[in-house]
Amino acid sequence: MSIARFSPFELLLLKSRSQVDTAKLLVLAWVLVHRQHVSEGQRRRRLAQVSAQFRHGHELGPVMHIAQQQDLLAIQLAAEVIRKECSQEHSLSVMHQAITVATDNGELSLANHYILRFLADLLNVTPSTLSMLFQELTGQTLATPEDPSRDAYWRVHDAEYYAQKAREAEAARQQARDAQAKAEQQEKKHQQEEAQRAHAQAQEKAEREKSRQQQESAQRQKQYERTRQQRSSQQGQPRTAPPPDRTTRALAVLGLTPGVSQTEVRRAYRRMAQLNHPDRFYTGSEHQIALASARFQRIKSAYDYLMQNYS
Amino acid sequence: MRDLYQRLSVSPQASDEELQQAVARCPNSALRQDAEAVFAVDKRRADYNQAHATLNDIGQLRARLGLTHGAHWQGDVANDFSRPPDQTASRHDELVDRVSHAVGLHNRWRGLRGIGLLIVTFGIGAGVGIAAGFTLSQMLGT
Repeated sequence: MSIARFSPFELLLLKSRSQVDTAKLLVLAWVLVHRQHVSEGQRRRRLAQVSAQFRHGHELGPVMHIAQQQDLLAIQLAAEVIRKECSQEHSLSVMHQAITVATDNGELSLANHYILRFLADLLNVTPSTLSMLFQELTGQTLATPEDPSRDAYWRVHDAEYYAQKAREAEAARQQARDAQAKAEQQEKKHQQEEAQRAHAQAQEKAEREKSRQQQESAQRQKQYERTRQQRSSQQGQPRTAPPPDRTTRALAVLGLTPGVSQTEVRRAYRRMAQLNHPDRFYTGSEHQIALASARFQRIKSAYDYLMQNYS
Repeated sequence: MRDLYQRLSVSPQASDEELQQAVARCPNSALRQDAEAVFAVDKRRADYNQAHATLNDIGQLRARLGLTHGAHWQGDVANDFSRPPDQTASRHDELVDRVSHAVGLHNRWRGLRGIGLLIVTFGIGAGVGIAAGFTLSQMLGT
């Protein structure tokens, strides 16, 4: 029958002159390992300092080594020994030592928040006693531990990252604004050019119109004379001028015949636009959507034309 | 502190890619925002992992020592990091058992040593006698 080997901490406990002190030593080393911004040498010195009154009678090196390895079984054993051996006053002194080792005028690290609370539960120290003890020893209240699993924690602790992000976003927005301003300027320029061109065209048109009117008036004169001559022989029919071809086609696109009122045109446009809107076909194929948008475009341009040129 | 890995149902060893997918799948938008903040930067994840490992250890210790309902073990932490009690018995009792077993073995060995010495002496004497007789018979034979 074989028995398992004794672990380093068990050997230490068996060799120790005082098991409780060895166990306390391991727990304090565990707290020290979880302190931040402390060098290895400082940890060892602090442990030696705190254990000046202890009666363990062995080296501190192995204890520190076990604590650094986060040997859970060893820590469990130490916790059991402490719980078994410590009286009420003794447990308060252990808590006292743990708090001083954990803070030493510095910040209590997140891990140590939980370790101290674990020790308090282990030693039957109530929350009010713990917070009072902490207040007495450090002059600060024992705050609730911060929560790095939340966004808010990182907004405080990694503010630089968020500031940089905000700066980047601001730069991007600025860029977008610049681009927009540029585009607007171009648009304005474009519009001006267009207006100039339109103006020139209008002038040209007006001139052409004038010349045509002159021609027409000359022709009409001639015709008038001719009709006067014809009328003298026979009575002519009165002829209404047919609406221009484009208007008729535009009306046909909306499904109307010449002679309808503007409100009817509007109503017809609304109906046709609803029936042929591309959004109605978004479940269909791309081809269907393309066809619908072509139809819609035709209806819309017909309506625009009628709104401007049809009374 | 909450156990984001458990809440996103991924293992703490998951790669960044798996983690991103799990975060994107998460239906709770508040949790998703927090997880994105924590896992966006490698350093934050490392910090979080450290705290996560420590709390896992403490949860395990509390489960083994029967402290899962302590006055200082409340809220999110207690919800997420309490482990079910496992088969590990009290380490101190185990140590005492092993020491007493070792002591028993030692005592038995001490008790047997007197008889053992006698047997060994007798055996050695017999061996020497047989060897001497054998060589003598050989010499006489030739």
